[in-house]
Amino acid sequence: MRKELPILVSFLFGAVVILAKYISLGPLPELIKVLDKWSIVSGAFAFLFGMINLSLLHGHNVARRKSDYLFSLYFIIVMWAFFFLGLYQTQKGYSYKWIFDNVYTPGTSTMYGMIAFYIATSAYRAFRARTMEATVLLVGAAIVMLGNAPVGAVIWKQFPVISDWLLKIPNTAGMRGILVGVYLGALTTAIRIILGLERGHLGGRG
Amino acid sequence: MFSMYWAAEAAKTPPPWLGFVSGGLAAQFVFVVFLFAATYGLIRRLQGGGRVAAIRKIAGLDAINEAVGRATEMGRPVHFTPGIGATSDPQSYAAFAVLGEVGKLTARYDTRIIVTTANAIMTAITDEIVRGAYLESGRPDAFNPDDIRYLSSAQFAYSAQVLGIFEREKVAANIMVGVFAAEALLLAEAGAQIGAIQIAASTNTFQLPFFVAACDYTLIGDEMYAASAYLSKDPALTGTVVAEDWAKMLILGVVVLGAILNTVGSKWLQNILNR
Repeated sequence: MRKELPILVSFLFGAVVILAKYISLGPLPELIKVLDKWSIVSGAFAFLFGMINLSLLHGHNVARRKSDYLFSLYFIIVMWAFFFLGLYQTQKGYSYKWIFDNVYTPGTSTMYGMIAFYIATSAYRAFRARTMEATVLLVGAAIVMLGNAPVGAVIWKQFPVISDWLLKIPNTAGMRGILVGVYLGALTTAIRIILGLERGHLGGRG
Repeated sequence: MFSMYWAAEAAKTPPPWLGFVSGGLAAQFVFVVFLFAATYGLIRRLQGGGRVAAIRKIAGLDAINEAVGRATEMGRPVHFTPGIGATSDPQSYAAFAVLGEVGKLTARYDTRIIVTTANAIMTAITDEIVRGAYLESGRPDAFNPDDIRYLSSAQFAYSAQVLGIFEREKVAANIMVGVFAAEALLLAEAGAQIGAIQIAASTNTFQLPFFVAACDYTLIGDEMYAASAYLSKDPALTGTVVAEDWAKMLILGVVVLGAILNTVGSKWLQNILNR
């Protein structure tokens, strides 16, 4: 039953959702609204589930006095303090908003800003003209960069035109080709789950 | 103006024999029914002893063995991430299939595997998959639940913690299969800088170039969805991949026909697809 029940549930709900997308007869449209609400509620529970998971993991580190257990203790205190502050003040509360805007947001921006440096090192590795493909990539990227930078048009006024053509024609054609495959792959995966063929997510035990 | 509006609405009316389908979705409905029928027909044929279609070599999936082997030789862990997706993303199911295989290999080679996730439900599922893989390989005692880690639901907080794990644990292999967005390059480049062998798979066309630039092997687009069939060699799953290829050929035919008809000024196919 450990595998059969999830497969049966996947089949029932998957078939209903697909049918409701195309057929608006009887109770199907209302049923979809109810399922959407279930999805939102279960998603909200997942956050609590995650917090409990983290508390157990780090609580274990603290209880066993593992290396760097003080970080685990600090983490548990901060996470639950911020959780209860949010419950007490709501998201619009001054302290809650201050911590979010002055601790979380700068941290996120810092990580996002690092991408610029990583793009430079990654581009250096990719654009070394060691093979024919890498050379084409290098030439294409150079033209697109010059086409988008004001200095490109000053050097040769055709750079923006060629850059635009590269982005609109070969690049879009390639991306659309990949996307057709991606959407078909996603649809086939959905069919495999509904038919109970895809069982990787059910674990290895029978 | 109103006559144009009514003409467009009339064009969205499905044909009488598909009167139960919502307007504008008849062609999509027929396509989905075709895909279901092709999948079912092929599975029946293959299970009945029919010829099993071969899937072409996918270098990224073949390299999983090499990556785990390298980590074993170096005595360092393998890192696996299904990205920042949830169970509602189809890419996550491809990730589960690959994780099951990686888990069996790490259990067999007695190599440590660290799985990081950005979603609590994904943590529970990945825990179950790796636990099951170790049990199936006869080494349940070697499974370490502390190595299946929920880091954070916030994209960049998750990335920061993965970067920390890379530096502290010095992972020898980094396998990224699933949903990736702006954090893709952070993870891939950090993995490249510590010298890990990297296998990545994504359907996000904006992140694929980063993976191609920074990783040793990249599964592009629908190659990722073929992973479970490719790794398990199950005839039924292979049948679904063949059905997908049939559908791809059908779409290609429609695209070519549509281009020709549009060039000569005919809207016949466009009107059929809009009904």
